[in-house]
Amino acid sequence: MLVLSSCLFSAAAVSAEDMVLVPESSFTPFFLKRDNASSSSAAATKISAFWLDATPVTNGKFQAFVNKYPDWHKSNIKKIFTDSHYLEHWQNTQGSADTADLDKPVVNVSWFAAEAYCEAQDKRLPTTDEWEYTLTDNDRDKENLQQRIMSWYSVPNKELPAVRANPANGFGVFDLAGVIWEWTADFNSYMAPPDSRNSGDKNLFCGSGSLNASNLGDYAAFMRYSYRESLKGNFTGKNLGFRCAKDAK
Amino acid sequence: MKTNLKSKLLPLLTASALAYSFSAFAENHEHHHHQHETTLSAPGLSTPSTDSVFNITDSWTAADGKAFQLSKLGGKPTVVAMVYTSCQYVCPLTVQNIKRIERSLSAAEAGKVNFALFSFDPQRDTPAKLTEFAKLHSITSPSWVLAQGSESAVRKLAVTLGIKYKKVQAGDYEHDATISILDSNGVVKFQADAMNKNINDATDALKALLH
Repeated sequence: MLVLSSCLFSAAAVSAEDMVLVPESSFTPFFLKRDNASSSSAAATKISAFWLDATPVTNGKFQAFVNKYPDWHKSNIKKIFTDSHYLEHWQNTQGSADTADLDKPVVNVSWFAAEAYCEAQDKRLPTTDEWEYTLTDNDRDKENLQQRIMSWYSVPNKELPAVRANPANGFGVFDLAGVIWEWTADFNSYMAPPDSRNSGDKNLFCGSGSLNASNLGDYAAFMRYSYRESLKGNFTGKNLGFRCAKDAK
Repeated sequence: MKTNLKSKLLPLLTASALAYSFSAFAENHEHHHHQHETTLSAPGLSTPSTDSVFNITDSWTAADGKAFQLSKLGGKPTVVAMVYTSCQYVCPLTVQNIKRIERSLSAAEAGKVNFALFSFDPQRDTPAKLTEFAKLHSITSPSWVLAQGSESAVRKLAVTLGIKYKKVQAGDYEHDATISILDSNGVVKFQADAMNKNINDATDALKALLH
């Protein structure tokens, strides 16, 4: 098993600058799809094949981006694109990354900064469905995965490790869980079929949403969707980073 | 706290409450909340202020088929909403409420304001469809612009305005119905639920920008 997955990884990772091809599949999102005004279902969503960065974007790579696009330097970034904590862990006088951190995931970046980075590489942020599908790892080792994620969520933050410090999943993708949270392109999607909103009562939303989940046992997924739901595009977080994706076509 | 989570019986809503006390969440919640071409008015400043939506440079296509950028809204305050034309209920109501805001202004005031509708629906809302929608809603004033853009332009504008949306089955969109008012430099000055029948606050916010 170990040998097999490491073979898969090395075969996939050599292509397209450290991106991994995630094959076409279907995926049942944690929150149900709305079919019409009165019903929703757990029908699978089709995921087209896509390339995904094998690791989160590192401080080193983000530094190279900032060097090339000085508009995104912490002293130049426009207010509309971030809160006041953009790259606050880059503490030297030049406002650049600490050399000891170059291989660690970049954090304290807003959605706008993540989006601009990916665009500059001719990539894009992954959709929430793509990201979540990759995390499920095609249900290989499902039980363990959920447990590992929950135990990560429940411990205090530690110093961030370098990327690839833990083994890749079956797709050859590293660090989806256990290191940082990641932006997705459509983090500002509704997480649930918002039937209640049409009646004008937004307060019912969270309650009805949780009852419409496809897998009531997956607290970790619930927490990720809740977390994304709480974000705004200019927010940054000490544990919030990103990776990029690209269409396979 | 960490051991509590082993129980598979923990209700989801409790998990949600717990989530916010986890350090990973707590730290991430240290957020700071701030906040040949179609021409509507005189072009804005060449360098928009750093908190202006005019810093978003995606190109849109207006109902007249011409290219349109957000910065074209510079020079006058603008009432902005995101809609899509196949929307049955929320969007027509949003448009009606914006028209009520327009009618609350004197003719002289109304001439100093832009009204802009951006579509959620890149597939179906062609310029022709937007023109049809404008006609349906008796939008004839040159102060109005309706525009459609790429999926990523739509996403970026929605994120900027704090509007959540999701494409659902059959090509419809679930979305926040929000009316935003920008000042003449493109800075968001006021936001309200577009379903709110009382438009006085929006009208006051807009008039304050005209004086």
